[in-house]
Amino acid sequence: MFKKVELQEGVTLYIRKSEQFKTVNFSIKWKTALDEKKSALRAVLANVLEESNGRYRSQTEFRNALDELYGTVLYTDAGKRGETNIVSLSAECVNDEYLSEGGVLEEVLSLIKTVIFDPNVVDGQFDETVVNREKRSVKERIRSLYDDKTRFAQMRMLELIRPDSAASAPSYGTEKDVDALTSADLFAAYESMLNEDEIDIYIVGDIDEDDMTEKIRSLLTFNSRKVNKRQTATQQTMAQETEVRHVREKQDMKQGKLHLGFSTPVTFRHPDYPKMQITNGVFGGFAHSKLFINVREKESMAYYASSSYSSHYGLLYVMAGIDAELEEKAVNLINAQLTALQQGEITDLEMEQTKALLANGIKSAFDSARGQIEVFDQYKELDENFTADTIIAGWESVTKDDVKNMASDIKLEIVYLLSGKEAN
Amino acid sequence: MMKNIHFDNLQETLYNEKLDNGLDVYILPKRGFSKTFVTFTTKYGSIDRTFIPRGKTEEVTVPDGIAHFLEHKMFEKEDGDVFQKFSVHGASANAFTSFTRTAYLFSATDKLYDNTEILLDFVQEPYFTEKTVDKEKGIIAQEITMYDDQPDWRLYFGTIENLFHEHPVKIDIAGTVASIQDITADYLYECYETFYHPSNMVLFVVGAVDPEEMMAFIKKNQDAKTFEDPADIIRSFPTEMDTVAITERKLAMDISKPKFNMGMKCTNTDIDGEEMLIQELSAGLVLDILFGRSSDFYTETYNDGLIDESFSYDFTMENGFGFAMVGSDTDQPEQLEKAIRTTVKNTVDTWPITDLELNRMRKKKIGQFMRSLNSPEFIANQFTRYTFNNMNLFDVVPTLEKLTLENLKDAFQTFSDESGHTVYSIVPADKAE
Repeated sequence: MFKKVELQEGVTLYIRKSEQFKTVNFSIKWKTALDEKKSALRAVLANVLEESNGRYRSQTEFRNALDELYGTVLYTDAGKRGETNIVSLSAECVNDEYLSEGGVLEEVLSLIKTVIFDPNVVDGQFDETVVNREKRSVKERIRSLYDDKTRFAQMRMLELIRPDSAASAPSYGTEKDVDALTSADLFAAYESMLNEDEIDIYIVGDIDEDDMTEKIRSLLTFNSRKVNKRQTATQQTMAQETEVRHVREKQDMKQGKLHLGFSTPVTFRHPDYPKMQITNGVFGGFAHSKLFINVREKESMAYYASSSYSSHYGLLYVMAGIDAELEEKAVNLINAQLTALQQGEITDLEMEQTKALLANGIKSAFDSARGQIEVFDQYKELDENFTADTIIAGWESVTKDDVKNMASDIKLEIVYLLSGKEAN
Repeated sequence: MMKNIHFDNLQETLYNEKLDNGLDVYILPKRGFSKTFVTFTTKYGSIDRTFIPRGKTEEVTVPDGIAHFLEHKMFEKEDGDVFQKFSVHGASANAFTSFTRTAYLFSATDKLYDNTEILLDFVQEPYFTEKTVDKEKGIIAQEITMYDDQPDWRLYFGTIENLFHEHPVKIDIAGTVASIQDITADYLYECYETFYHPSNMVLFVVGAVDPEEMMAFIKKNQDAKTFEDPADIIRSFPTEMDTVAITERKLAMDISKPKFNMGMKCTNTDIDGEEMLIQELSAGLVLDILFGRSSDFYTETYNDGLIDESFSYDFTMENGFGFAMVGSDTDQPEQLEKAIRTTVKNTVDTWPITDLELNRMRKKKIGQFMRSLNSPEFIANQFTRYTFNNMNLFDVVPTLEKLTLENLKDAFQTFSDESGHTVYSIVPADKAE
C-alpha cells in the first residue's frame, strides 16, 4: 500500500501515490509511551503548535496564510492508542492541477516545516500568553466531557473497572495536570518529542513519490533516535472470578445511559483477534446483530443498543439508551444475547452478514486518504504487508464454533447506569 | 436519453436522465474508489405537515414528527427488516430526515446491483400496519429522549423556536413523545402516496459505477413497476413575519459550562436557483469573514476567554426559511452576546469588508469545495439538496468566482436587522436562578 522509506533510525516515511483524491494529505505522528502527566503536556503542546509559529506570530496571520492557500487545512491533535501517546500534525491541500495558480503544495510543505521546527518561541520559551490561553482551552475540553452524557457514562464505567490504567487514562490528561504545567515544562516536552519520539510521516496524493521523498528528506531534518517498541500485551490477564459490580449514578437528565463492561483475554495482537471481531459483530456491532434485533426491534426498548470491541485493552462494551425503570429487563436481555452466543446459537446468516459488513468497512475506509493513513498506522503493527484482502481472508476463515469459544471467555465485570434523579 | 456533462476543471463527468415515471437519476463515476454510495431522496421533510393529499381536495395537517416516523417504518416489511437484506450483501444502510428531505442510502464495495435493487424496492413498496406502527413508538420515544439530554441539540432547536412565529421549521423533526402517539398507518399511507411519487424524488449514484450499465439497470427496475401519473403537490405554509417570535430564552440543564447561541433570521427566502445560490454562498462568505478563525472577532473573543474550541457559526437556508447562528460554550454569555452584536452592528454601520477579504475567503471556499469532492457522501447529499432548490452543485466554483462585494452586502442585509435576532442560552442547573 504505502512505500516505506526509513529517513533516519526511528523516523519513517510512508508515501502513496494515488489519483483518487483532489487533495494531498500529510500526517506526521510522534509516538511515545503513555503517561498521564505527559498526556497533559502534549495536549497543550499540540494546541500551541497549531496556534502560531515563528513565521506567523499570531493566529490571525497564520490562519490568513492558510486561507490564501485555498483553505489548506492544518491541525494538530494529541491522543492515545493502546499504551501509546500520539501527537499528530495533519495537513491537506488542494492539488495544484485543480487550481488556477501553482505553488500551493510547495508552500504547504514549507509551512509544515515551520510549524515543526520554528515554533512561536522567544528567548527559548513559548510565548506565555499563548501557553496560558491554550491551557485554558484544553482544560475546558476536558471539562466539557461532563456535558456529553454518553461519553461521561463511558468514562465513569472505565474508571470503575480499570482505574489507574491506560484504558481509563484521559487522552488530554487531567485539569490539575494541565493547570500545573509551565512554559518551561512545555518546551522540554517539545524538545523531547522532536528528538526522542518514534516518528511516522504519511503522505497520500497525486504526487511523484521519489521527488516528494527527496523534498521531505531535505525539509524535515529529524535526527536519528533509538526507539523502544511499546507493545500492548498479546493476551490480557483476566481478573479473578469476582462478583459483577452494579453501579448507579444520578444526574439531572431524562434517559438512562446503560453501559456494560466485559473483559476478554483476546487483544489486538492475539492470533484470535479476527475471531473476536466477528464475535463482536454478531453480538452487537451492526443493525443485524443480536442486540439490535432483540433489544431495539423486538422489545422496542431502545433507539440504540450496540457493542464495541476495544481490542487494545481486551474490553468489550455494550451501550443502550433506555428508560431507567427498565434497567433490569434490559440487562437480562443483553446477557441473554451473550449466553446465546456462548451456547452456539449462531446462524449462518449472522456469520455471512457480519463478514460482509466488516469487509465493506475496511474497503470503504480505504476510500478516504485519512482512512488509509489511520488503518495502515494501526495494522502495520501486526504486519507491514497487510492488504484489505489479507484482513478479509482472516475473517472469512472464522467459524461458528470460533465465535462460541470466543464468547465463552467474555466475562461481565460491571453494569453501570447513569440516569435522572427522579428515577429510582 | 441519458445526458452527460463534463466538468473540465474538476475532471468529473455527471450522467443524468429523467425517467418516464418522473424519477430524476444522476450517476457520477469516481476513479480509484472501491465503494459506491447511493441515495434515494424524496423532497419531503418535517416542514411538509399541511398539504392536500394525493387524490383529495381538502387540506390536512398531519401529526408532528410523521416524516421521520415514516422514514423509520419504511425499513420494516412483511418478511422482516430491510437492514438484514442489506447486511447479507455487505451494504451499510441508513436514512435521515431533515426539514425538507427524507433520504435512504447505502454504501457498498460489492454487489452493487443487488443493493441498488433492495434500495429501490424497499422505498417503493410501503408496508404499514397498526401493530408495527405502535411498536415503533417506543423506539422513537427513546430517540427523542436521547436528543432531550443533548445540550447542543437543545441549544440549536431552542434558537430556532425563538426565531419563528408560525413556520413549521420550529417543530422538532422527530416530533414529541406526545405527538407521535397520534400517528397511524393510515396517516403514513397518506403521506407516502403524496410525497413518494418518483417525480418528487432523486436517485444519486456516486463511486465505483459504470454509468451506462447502472442507468439501464435502474430503468429496467422502474419500468417493471406501475405508478400513477405525476401530480403537483400542494403544500401550505403559514405567513411568517420578518421579526423573531421570542428575543431571549434560557434553559437549565445538568452541564458544567453555559452555552450561548445567537440566531439571526433571514429575509428574502422565497427564492431558488441562481438567486439562492448567490445569496447562500455570499452569506457563508460574510460569516467566514466576520467570525472565522482569521477574523478580528475570533482573535479578540478567544483571547478574552469569551469563546472556546466549541465556537461555531453556520448558515442554513431552504426555500421559505433561513437563519444564521453564532455560538459557543462560554462563562460570560452577556459579554459574548455583546461582542457578536457589536460585530454585526459595525458591519451594518461601516461595512469594513473589502476585496482583500473577499478574495481570500473566495480562495478558501474554492479549496474547501474541491476537498469535499473527495467525499461521495458530500456529493450525493449536497447535489440532491441543490437539485430540490433548482441549483446545481457544480455551479459552486464558477459562482464563487464571480461574487462581488455587492452580493455580500445584499446577503448580509437579509439577516443583519436586529428585529430578526434572538439569543438562547443553556445554563448549569445548579447555577440557575
